[in-house]
Amino acid sequence: MTDLEATLPRKRSFLQSFLSLLVPGLGQAIAGAYSRGLAILTTIATFTGLTIWTAAQRPRFPDYGLTTRAFLLLLLETAAILIFIAALHYIVRRTIAKKPTTQAAAQTVFIVLAILVIALIQQPLLDTILSEENQSMVYGLTLVFGAALTAAIWLWNVSDAGWVRRDYAPSMNALIFLGIAALIVLGSRVTQVDLPKAIREYRDTEIILQRIVWPWESAFVYEENNVVAEARIQAPCPPGATGPEVNEPREDEPWVIVTPTCGDLSERDTQGNIDFGTELDIRGGGFVPDQTVNLRWQNPIGNAFKPRGFGDAEFPASEEGTFETKLFIPDATISSTAQGDQIHTLIAIQTGEREFTGQLSNDMKLALQQMLVTIMMGMMATLVGVVLSVPLSFLSARNLMSSIKSTLQAFVGGVFGLVLGGWLGSIIAARISASYGGLEAMPLLTFALNLIFILGGALLLYRLAGTGLEWLGQRALPEIVAHLITIIGLAVVGAAIGYLLGIAFARGVFSITSTPEFVELMSPRTGAIGAAIGAIFMAYYGFRRQPFDEITTGNFIYVFVRVTLNIIRSIEPLIWAVIGIIWVGPGPFAGFIALTIHTIAALGKLYSEAIESIDPGPIEAVQSTGADRLQTIVYAVVPQILPPFIAFTIYRWDINVRLSTIIGLVGGGGIGFLLIQWIRLFQYEQAGIAVWLITITVAALDFVSAEIRGRFV
Amino acid sequence: MLKIENLTKVYDDGTVALKDVSFTVEEGEFLIVIGLSGSGKSTLLRCINRLIDPTEGKITWNDIDITEASEGELRRIRRGIGMIFQQFNLVDRSSVMTNVLTGRCGYVNPLWSLINYFPRKDRERAHTALERVGIREKASNRADALSGGQKQRVGIARALMQDPKMLLADEPVASLDPVLAHTILGYLEKLNQEDKITVVCSLHYLDLVQRYATRVIGLREGRIIYEGSQEEIRRLTDEQFKQIYGEEAQRMSVGPEGIS
Repeated sequence: MTDLEATLPRKRSFLQSFLSLLVPGLGQAIAGAYSRGLAILTTIATFTGLTIWTAAQRPRFPDYGLTTRAFLLLLLETAAILIFIAALHYIVRRTIAKKPTTQAAAQTVFIVLAILVIALIQQPLLDTILSEENQSMVYGLTLVFGAALTAAIWLWNVSDAGWVRRDYAPSMNALIFLGIAALIVLGSRVTQVDLPKAIREYRDTEIILQRIVWPWESAFVYEENNVVAEARIQAPCPPGATGPEVNEPREDEPWVIVTPTCGDLSERDTQGNIDFGTELDIRGGGFVPDQTVNLRWQNPIGNAFKPRGFGDAEFPASEEGTFETKLFIPDATISSTAQGDQIHTLIAIQTGEREFTGQLSNDMKLALQQMLVTIMMGMMATLVGVVLSVPLSFLSARNLMSSIKSTLQAFVGGVFGLVLGGWLGSIIAARISASYGGLEAMPLLTFALNLIFILGGALLLYRLAGTGLEWLGQRALPEIVAHLITIIGLAVVGAAIGYLLGIAFARGVFSITSTPEFVELMSPRTGAIGAAIGAIFMAYYGFRRQPFDEITTGNFIYVFVRVTLNIIRSIEPLIWAVIGIIWVGPGPFAGFIALTIHTIAALGKLYSEAIESIDPGPIEAVQSTGADRLQTIVYAVVPQILPPFIAFTIYRWDINVRLSTIIGLVGGGGIGFLLIQWIRLFQYEQAGIAVWLITITVAALDFVSAEIRGRFV
Repeated sequence: MLKIENLTKVYDDGTVALKDVSFTVEEGEFLIVIGLSGSGKSTLLRCINRLIDPTEGKITWNDIDITEASEGELRRIRRGIGMIFQQFNLVDRSSVMTNVLTGRCGYVNPLWSLINYFPRKDRERAHTALERVGIREKASNRADALSGGQKQRVGIARALMQDPKMLLADEPVASLDPVLAHTILGYLEKLNQEDKITVVCSLHYLDLVQRYATRVIGLREGRIIYEGSQEEIRRLTDEQFKQIYGEEAQRMSVGPEGIS
């Protein structure tokens, strides 16, 4: 089809329009535009569902049948209104507004008109159906506009169906526009967006916000030059008790004398009426003249409060710095299990100037320390992640792996060698480690030994058995025997994999629906079935291929590593953190484990993609000089991947430090842990310090990483 | 002597790149393979040093079977066969020196590559090789700072490091302008005549073929459709050339006489 044909006017198909009127998208599908039809059907079904669901959200409106009927009624009515207004618009365009400018204006007017008319006409209908004054406004309008937009999409679909041909698809802009509008209307309801509430209740946030925004008061130690004197009182006063000694006036320091020093507490009944206790005479001296003195009552467990309503608790000192007043013993609560004498303290205090000492407060020190922990956590996770993900990225780079090939025969031999070598390696490692006391005595050495022997043994025997069997098959054995060995070997491999998959199936699927006993019963059976299927399948494969056919073993490794990395990567670091906490307990180590695992997977993917996008030319050139695999990687691959590797590493470091602050929130240690604790204790100033430190660190890191990346790439 | 017997290459997607190709290359020949893009020239050259594994057929070089060679044998075979490429295939981010030194990969212990070490002798050899192609002063430059002609000279120097008995050149001048084409082919000719290195080269342009080849093979859709000696190719007219080569054959406007 040429461009000219595409611009030619076409005839509208009424059959397609009619079909789309009945089932949205059907007309388009009949015309051959299947995906278009499906998209339209899905869109309308989604918005219909969302609108009904919105209505059904109302707690007093559980009748879905009624909702659907009401909705259909709404849909039909609004569609009728839309058609009516569109017709009106058409007439106006043809008769009155013929100039483009007036047409544009008319269009706007009619859109506004449509919205108003729909809202006005449909609201009463809704009110009668929904009959709930308060919420029906919000829900009703959502419902009306949701229905209107759905109806509009439906109408658009009918008109669209008329024009769609196998080789011609008109613009879908209208659908996209209407769809977005409907999404906003319905989405705001589903997510319970409530702007008035946000404005109304902002004021409560202000106090907390202030503390978070400017928390530096609690970041430093202030020396308080208060004038303080204390006196001790026993309450309640058991028979025979005399109370603490009465204070004496002093020469050089402030003093306060309370008599008697033993008395009864005031009591407050449930209505709030107070039965006053013993009245105390209070005298004081040595205070700053003419300055306000505050009285504080401190109960036996050390909580101080201002005794309001029990006498004068705030008054100026005299010109000589003395005062005299009376106070009932307030209704300080005492634990019902308290034993022995209950000694309260009366504190007379004159608040002086607070003096800045320049010393960091303990909270600030703690926050700084944890910030450092957090940064180190991110860095450690990045470093360890890089070291581990580089080899994995080579294994999951298709262009490198697809050149690793072996014959079927060598593969069979290799797999058996791999298993045998791993097994022998583990035995040797166990023997050696037993000689010095094993895992308990030297865990790291044992770990390393196992790794080296199992991996080394597996790889060594893989190579030996592979080449050995291949040599035997090619030089020594008759072809039929070689073929038979391949078939049997493959069948055993298939059986082993099938058995494992079968057991995994039983554990995975049955454990959801059935009891553990059933799983135990079933897993050998599913294992056997899996083994049988695997054996038959692989044997057939071996039968069809020749024993010396080449297969790309590299691709197996590639797929395996890729899939594993993808699974690990799709699990969020927060989840890994939870796993880490279960594993090693809360703290930075758990966070480190979480970040490292996720980093390995994420960087492994990014790295391997960088490797896959390199120029194959230099690899070819270096190979053609007789270089082996290692040399090819060092001289042809590494120079090409270095810049993206550095860029990705810094990018990940950046992400890790950010994430490590978040990981603390779930218990992964570091500043996040501190932050969530402070928030839960309502210590918003301290929380503010943490927030500030995180912000500063992240901003600094952002800058630094951008700088470094800019230099390298 | 390079002997190719019934060579066939079918790619995984079913494309037949080479079909039953047989020919021999004598020691010291300058063999030029001509043919359209997609006629199988690159595949043929890459089969010779097994950058591509042939599907069927046999390639022997001085009585060593290349097609059956194991990994270790292949390494020894490859180091005796230098290769230069149309796109030069240098590692852009490495220095010229490093690029040239990679030519020795087939001789040094692979573990040395971990610390990027080459023996002193090899370094001296690299300087000599660079001097031979006239760009010794560029040794410490990064490869991507060079011009096209200089890059191809580095490519030749890299091949020289291998002490090659044979050179494979896959359209070595297709990315270069006519003047440079003669310079580069001049180097190859010099190596061919002075060092007695066998050259197998694929080319596009008739007058370059006439000027440098001692023997010519024409490929079309993976089959050999023409074989000619030096004399035969020199007598070839444009019309005949087009018949062998297809309608897109070109003659280059600048010969070595034209530039001096």
